[in-house]
Amino acid sequence: MAKKCTLLLIILLLAVIGLAPVVSMFIKSFFVDGELSFKNYQILFQSKRQWSLLSHSLGLACGTTFITVLLGLPLGTVFAKTDLPLKKLFTVLFVIPLVIPSYILAVAWFYFLGRGGILAELLGANVGVITSRFLFGFWGTLFVIVSTLLPIVIILTITYLRIVDPRLEEAGKLSAGWPVVLRRISIPIVMPGVFLAGLIVFILTLGEFGVPFSLRFEVFPIESFIQFSAFYNFNAATAAAVPLGLITLIVLIIERLFLRKKTFQFRTVGPEETRIMMPLGKKKPLFFIAVSILAFIFVIIPIGVLMIKSFSFSAYHEALVRGLDSIFRSLLYASIGATSLVIFGFFLGYLLERKALRLSFAADSLAIFLFALPGTVISIGLISLWNTQATNFIYASAVIILFGYVAQYTALSERIMAATFSQIPHSTEEAAQIAGAGWFCRLFGVLVPQAKYGMVAAWLVGFIFCLKDLGITMIVYPPAHDTLPVRIFTLMANSPEQVIAALCMIMVVVTCLPLGVLTMVTKYMR
Amino acid sequence: MILKIDNLYKSYDAIGAVNGISLNVEKGERVVILGPSGCGKTTLLRITAGFIQPDRGTVTIDEVTVAADGKCFVEPENRNIGMVFQDLALWPHMSVYRNLEFGLQARKIPKKERRKRIDQILVKMQMKQYENSSPNDLSGGQQQRVALARALVSQPKILLMDEPLSNLDLDLNLLLRKEILRLQQDLDITMLYVTHDRDEAFSLATRIILMSHGKIQKVGNVEEVTEYLSDLFNPC
Repeated sequence: MAKKCTLLLIILLLAVIGLAPVVSMFIKSFFVDGELSFKNYQILFQSKRQWSLLSHSLGLACGTTFITVLLGLPLGTVFAKTDLPLKKLFTVLFVIPLVIPSYILAVAWFYFLGRGGILAELLGANVGVITSRFLFGFWGTLFVIVSTLLPIVIILTITYLRIVDPRLEEAGKLSAGWPVVLRRISIPIVMPGVFLAGLIVFILTLGEFGVPFSLRFEVFPIESFIQFSAFYNFNAATAAAVPLGLITLIVLIIERLFLRKKTFQFRTVGPEETRIMMPLGKKKPLFFIAVSILAFIFVIIPIGVLMIKSFSFSAYHEALVRGLDSIFRSLLYASIGATSLVIFGFFLGYLLERKALRLSFAADSLAIFLFALPGTVISIGLISLWNTQATNFIYASAVIILFGYVAQYTALSERIMAATFSQIPHSTEEAAQIAGAGWFCRLFGVLVPQAKYGMVAAWLVGFIFCLKDLGITMIVYPPAHDTLPVRIFTLMANSPEQVIAALCMIMVVVTCLPLGVLTMVTKYMR
Repeated sequence: MILKIDNLYKSYDAIGAVNGISLNVEKGERVVILGPSGCGKTTLLRITAGFIQPDRGTVTIDEVTVAADGKCFVEPENRNIGMVFQDLALWPHMSVYRNLEFGLQARKIPKKERRKRIDQILVKMQMKQYENSSPNDLSGGQQQRVALARALVSQPKILLMDEPLSNLDLDLNLLLRKEILRLQQDLDITMLYVTHDRDEAFSLATRIILMSHGKIQKVGNVEEVTEYLSDLFNPC
């Protein structure tokens, strides 16, 4: 009974924090001046601009998905299945763009390819004009978002290839060489995982706000943001958010119907010795050079540019003067956010893995839906629900930011905890139950100690995502509650480049430190 | 009668795992449920423990109906049952002593009494010197003893055993069978033991229940079941 109550309470809390704002926003979009009306949608669908924004958003999402899969699948395969030198280092390198705020990469590329950028300084102003034209628009936005989301396809490809039963490949190896085995056996087996990665990339691109905004490429999330913060037109902002919500919902229904059973499985990832690896042989230098070039383009250039731009004591001093309070705030909010995410993730992960209630599928779908929903949609929903006199203590405090974190990122901690629980035999909990232990006694005596590394991993992942969040914080932060990503974003327009670069570098270091700890924790977990 | 199972049904996705089983177990009996994999014997054991609920039928332990027709009236933690799991389910983050103490603590047994009971059972199991060891540092046989000690330390009404010896080599298997018998007689425990191994069943049981396709095929002592099985395989 206590177990059921706890789990139901957590589902209810997630529904209040995450679903209620979205539903409230959706309902309010049908009211104009207190009366039921479709006026907001009439304006939305009659406007040519909205259709152009929709085509921009969808075009960007499709293009990003296509290119990330095209690059990520071979890269993931090389990292998971071959003896490429330094592959662990390469994997970590490629993950860096995922853990830092995406617009920081856009800023870095602007400093490199912009009219007054490093490349223009080196090769002349004409080159700067051409590269700047490329950067500001569809192709530049696509390129930067690809570099940000490529790690998702790489990581999922690696993960799924590692759990392919080695006997299947060994059986194939008896009659064919590695290229055939990979093409005909390993990759077809992991294809549902690759589709899933593509779907995640599609949804995240659809909700991407920072990069298109920085590179002045108009998409739907920007429209919501502008309508809300520039014109204070809440109805228009809401109406612009609804199509994104609907597209997300449709994509998720597709995932639930066609992919879930094929991709949602937890199996132990065995150590490398137990897996069958493909030797690259004479082609090793060729692969090494190709991977190095990609790492150079996607990671080393942008980070290097920021380092070069910020390379002075005065820049960092000025950056700290302007951003120190927001750094502390970021760390504090991210820590509280991550702790809340672990609590939600723990119970929802348990619910998902142990199928402890009939609601487990619904709760998981809700968490995934909220994760897939663009941050701008969630934020507008949060404001729509909590911006009342009675709930001003939430709306005007950091609580609304925390609500945003919980709504958007619970799915991450939920999945990590579900994977952790799948490694803990059910019988250890049953043994405690039969020994006379009630739910809370089992929880703290048996489950938490066994799941502690998973909880640490969930906390670190939650911390990274809360720390780098811009989509939610940018819209909901109350006065004097801005975080570092928001501070950098607002300072970008009127501060010296080297100070912004220094702030970006601080942001990179602050988010990469937990990534290092996470790498060590996952190593220890294995 | 310590355990009464009456007309029990349980199915998964319309496939019957347990089909109308009725069974009585008297105090001090060693009842072994014997049958091939997938015949429903573990499901029957888990219904008795309370981890799954029967679709139909009742389970009564010591005159108290603990589950009936899909409803659970007494949670597993309140049934006072001991269980040895197939994978032993020792808590890896606790020492041997803590593994044994956990259940007693949950039942709010005073510390002094806990110490006494744990010492007694560890001495009986010849495991006293390992009380501070982690289960992961013990051999398979020692882990088995700890699992058995943990199940017995709370002095359960019934001891359920789900193929506890199936992962051991033959020598250890034979040795532990003797120990289980010795303990059962010393402590006068009622035991419901599940196995697919005929030798194991014959060496441990006072009564054997032969199961197949979720139904009881034969109930009897070792001689009766041996005769039934030989008739089955040599009908002429």
